[in-house]
Amino acid sequence: MPSVSLNDEEAALVAPLPHALIEFLAKEPKNTLTRLYQRPSSCLAIFRLLSPLERQIVMNLLWLESAIPPSTMAAWVVREHKKLYDDAMEALTDLNILPNSIVKLALNATFKTSFRQAITGGGASGSFGVPAEKDDKRPPFDVDSLDGYALERWETILHYMVSSGSGQNPASPSPGVLYLLQSSGLMASQQGAALRITSKGFQFLLYPPHAQLWHLLLQYLEMAGQRHMDLVEVLSFLFMLSTMELGREYSIENLSQTQKAMLEDLRDYGLLWQRKPSSRRFSPTRLATTLTSSSPPLPTSAGTSSGPKDGFIVLETNYRVYAYTDNPLQIAVLNLFVSLKYRFPNLVVGSITRESVKKALTNGISADQIISYLVTHAHPQMRKNVPSSFPNPLLPVTVQDQIRLWELEKNRLKSQEGCLYTSFTSQADYELVLKYAKQLDVVLWENAAKRCFFGSLEGHANIREFIERRKQSQMDS
Amino acid sequence: MDDSTGSHLSVVVDLSPTQWHLSGHSSNAYPLALNSFLSQLLVFLNAHLASKHENTLAVFGALPGKSVMLYSSIDQEVGATMQMDSNSYLAFKMVDSAIVRSIRDELDVLMDDEEEAPCGLVGALTKALCYVNRVALASTSDNSSQSLEAGSSTDPRILILSVSPDLTTSYIPIMNAIFSAQKLKVAVDACQIYGTDSVFLQQAAHLTGGSYISLERRDALLQYLIMSFLSPPSIRKVLSVPTQDRIDFRAACFCHKNIIDIGFVCSVCLSIFCQPVPVCSTCRTKFPIKTLQRLNAAKPLLAQSNGSVERTPSSSQPPTPSHSGSVAPFSGHNGNTSYQSLHSASIGQGNSNGTNGARQGPG
Repeated sequence: MPSVSLNDEEAALVAPLPHALIEFLAKEPKNTLTRLYQRPSSCLAIFRLLSPLERQIVMNLLWLESAIPPSTMAAWVVREHKKLYDDAMEALTDLNILPNSIVKLALNATFKTSFRQAITGGGASGSFGVPAEKDDKRPPFDVDSLDGYALERWETILHYMVSSGSGQNPASPSPGVLYLLQSSGLMASQQGAALRITSKGFQFLLYPPHAQLWHLLLQYLEMAGQRHMDLVEVLSFLFMLSTMELGREYSIENLSQTQKAMLEDLRDYGLLWQRKPSSRRFSPTRLATTLTSSSPPLPTSAGTSSGPKDGFIVLETNYRVYAYTDNPLQIAVLNLFVSLKYRFPNLVVGSITRESVKKALTNGISADQIISYLVTHAHPQMRKNVPSSFPNPLLPVTVQDQIRLWELEKNRLKSQEGCLYTSFTSQADYELVLKYAKQLDVVLWENAAKRCFFGSLEGHANIREFIERRKQSQMDS
Repeated sequence: MDDSTGSHLSVVVDLSPTQWHLSGHSSNAYPLALNSFLSQLLVFLNAHLASKHENTLAVFGALPGKSVMLYSSIDQEVGATMQMDSNSYLAFKMVDSAIVRSIRDELDVLMDDEEEAPCGLVGALTKALCYVNRVALASTSDNSSQSLEAGSSTDPRILILSVSPDLTTSYIPIMNAIFSAQKLKVAVDACQIYGTDSVFLQQAAHLTGGSYISLERRDALLQYLIMSFLSPPSIRKVLSVPTQDRIDFRAACFCHKNIIDIGFVCSVCLSIFCQPVPVCSTCRTKFPIKTLQRLNAAKPLLAQSNGSVERTPSSSQPPTPSHSGSVAPFSGHNGNTSYQSLHSASIGQGNSNGTNGARQGPG
């Protein structure tokens, strides 16, 4: 269906969702941002997180020596997409990349200098990481081992989230990670008991890996302020990691105190690897080097040692789920909304039941999240049955609908705070007050036979005043 | 959706030493020598790679008499030997040094030649197309780790940076390359950096939905490159890029390789000739003598009339030079229609396709 795909394309063009970090940065004060832009690697990393249109605008202005009037730039814009362009300009202004966009257009001088340096090379900022001297005795970790390490670290965190407090005793991540999980509200402990996952945490588990990573890192950034760490240094270090080369070793010599302190935290998240905590060198893992790419080949998405790498779930119309995996994390995640029946060395079989879905729903997981998880992890065999993705969806429609219906079941009752008005002396009184309340549009329910009605809380002050005024005037007369 | 995967850019660089020497000569209004061109090109290539982690790049050089692949981000060995430098992004540095090194190597080899052979622009363009085809195949065949590492790119583009004038002998291969590009849905951008407008590159850009620029201010090359050629097609819908309002649609004849205004087209295989021929050199169809005579008689008439005359007479229709339909041989609006209109200006009997045997009418 060409028309539909066109619409999709239009939609993608119209509403580019800004990256979570961009939203975070837009709230920071302008001089913090300018300080951040002093480092070429930060400029490059932020540039990559911008939307395609914003990137092109920055590029168009990058090599101009003098400011240009906004009309010159606007002349290039196709008229029907003017709004997109305006939005992009506004976003760049928020980031302080393009100050004063009303009078004249020129990039922030600091950003311009640093970004030019990033593209041409040179300068003396050392912002792309100082490579460590070659050590012949101990060759650097190869890429596969780094991937394995990152995967192991990351899955430890996720697995802990899923199974802590559920009777199993998973390997516990470091205290720093636990604190982060707790302060971000992904896990909570009640009365000193073991940490338990919250509904936010359940939602977190179903995010794509890249979003999970940024979610945690943003939380880390928020925490940096509390720990009196300089936000600029924390961000610069993350951006530096993102521009580093996988499988290389870098020296910690040029790092500031704050950044050295970060090494430990990032090691716990699996973003970088060190031979031992006191080591003078570190290697970034794939988690770190793909931070600024949008579809990262994260090792976490690769899944298990056996079986296909890009999907493992087969869902049938009879609600049966076959998951070709032996990965404890994936099984634990599935266990959130599937009632598992059998387990084989490379296969887990279960079925989606009303109870299992309701359990997930009470944990705060939404039906859409379940469905999108099943879609993203669908087995290639399921994808093969779908000739073109639009007309017949990947998952059986019956199952999708049923999951949504189960969710609706939960929402049969809706509660709203308000006041019940009863015992009116006369029908006329009742009708007068009801009429007034209806004008205010605060009536939620009424029953003329019992002479009572229920109004929402916002309207209460007005109604009470109205009744009192009436009483007053009746008494006066 | 354009944000989820990277885009691929293949750049074809014309490295003809003579032309670059002329271009760098100080008598020009804006001299641009090869080395300053290269530094601006490298910045442009880095800008492409900077835009997205997944963006891929290939660079092809057109040298006198041959064409080479100068750089490919897929085939490149991860620079284990590369000296690292804390002040530059490793990926950029690798591209820069690889391209400069291979260009230097190629130019060093060239120096021995006395006579400069014609530039291998077509060869480079064809290689670029093959490369794009390979990239496209890799990304559609499977989504497994193989293609992920190779950078499964969408909307591939080709950018031709030319300094040489049109080589009329390369008309047919260029047209063929354009048709392949259309089939692969590859936009071909072209930039004539030095010299006169290129007829063929204009057509290439127009027919594939790309952009053609003839550089006026050569000192502002980088700004031209970035504003016109950096943006992927989806962005071009929002920030427009220059397109031509006038396109030279003339073709080159198959017999003498001249660019011609009015030609004669074989009704069987659509070959173009600058004068009536008794036998089509491409498909060996023989044309009736009578038709030839009539066409020859009509020739001066055609030449006299203004540019909008077009229909060469066919035997089923009396010569009607005044019949000025919209079928001017070389002013079609795209590749296919221009060929259709060429077809209607046919030599020989009838205007439908016939087999060779059927064409051998009474002599």
